[in-house]
Amino acid sequence: MDKLKKNFSFVAISVVIGFMIAIQFQTIKKPVERDTRDLWQLREAILQEKELQSELLTEIRSIEEKLLAYESKQKQSKEQALRDTIQELENEAGMTKVTAPGILLTIEPIIEEIQIGAEISKSVSPELLKRLLNELNMYDAKYVAVDGQRIINTTVIRDINNETKIDGHALSSLPVEIRVGVDNVETAEKLYNQMKVSKATEEFFIENLKLTISEPSPGVTIPAYDNPIRIRYLESMKANEGGNT
Amino acid sequence: MWLPVLGLIVGILLGLLTDIRIPEEYSNYLSIAVLAALDTLFGGIRAHLQNIYDEKVFVSGFFFNIILAASLAFLGVHLGVDLYLAAVFAFGVRLFQNIAVIRRILLTKWSTNKEKIEKN
Repeated sequence: MDKLKKNFSFVAISVVIGFMIAIQFQTIKKPVERDTRDLWQLREAILQEKELQSELLTEIRSIEEKLLAYESKQKQSKEQALRDTIQELENEAGMTKVTAPGILLTIEPIIEEIQIGAEISKSVSPELLKRLLNELNMYDAKYVAVDGQRIINTTVIRDINNETKIDGHALSSLPVEIRVGVDNVETAEKLYNQMKVSKATEEFFIENLKLTISEPSPGVTIPAYDNPIRIRYLESMKANEGGNT
Repeated sequence: MWLPVLGLIVGILLGLLTDIRIPEEYSNYLSIAVLAALDTLFGGIRAHLQNIYDEKVFVSGFFFNIILAASLAFLGVHLGVDLYLAAVFAFGVRLFQNIAVIRRILLTKWSTNKEKIEKN
């Protein structure tokens, strides 16, 4: 009984091994096909392949030409030009979200003042804010957002019932964050240095506010202007008016 | 004694008849598994001849060696080192040793048998 069992396992395993060897053999083995064509047959075969190659090449060329034609058509089309212009203008007008190198300014109440318990300023006066924005603009700031409100050319900052409002949106309570974006990292660096030495910090200090200027960062995200832009004195041209083009 | 050889032949016939092929990438693994299996088989035959055969050791060694060899090859492929060469080396050396031992045992058996016959 024991012998039978022993033999059985031997046989089973050798069958498995044989099976594995056979599979391996079949996998490795590749049929050897001898090439028995003579010179002229070979030449013919080469000729055929070359014909195929030239056909394929002409096909590729014609398709590439088509592609180029389509691309140039698309580039030259008025629609694309108009679209580009619109995009550019929207970008310039502040209708798009922008991520650019820049700095972050934070306006906070002065902590020492809080500890004393004296009355603290709860908001930033519009004059102060305007002055700061002017200064920023002077130093090449291109995209500015105060407390999440994008500042554009027509933005108004004013005091309504003792509340500072930017385009009708009230500034939230302090601290207020001002995001400033510029064209490139060098300008951001320059802006940062100029803000460091500018009088703005002292002007804020007089009103019991602290202006913190962050290190320039490579990616400051400035939100888009979300109100419709009102144009009062500009009208679109009628089709039959103006030039012919 | 002839049973393993018979089994081997049956296995090869079966494999050839079924016409199974594995992808080329895995032939490496299979070859090393075959080597491991052969090593185990010859080890088993040797143990059998030396009367120290244990079925549990034999069967577990068979599967364990195959899995170990295949996983070593797998690891080698992923590490970018031809680690399966280590398995090939180890199994190759053991294969030779086992076959040498088997040959010696068979030779001794054969010569003692011959002496017996001559005595008679």
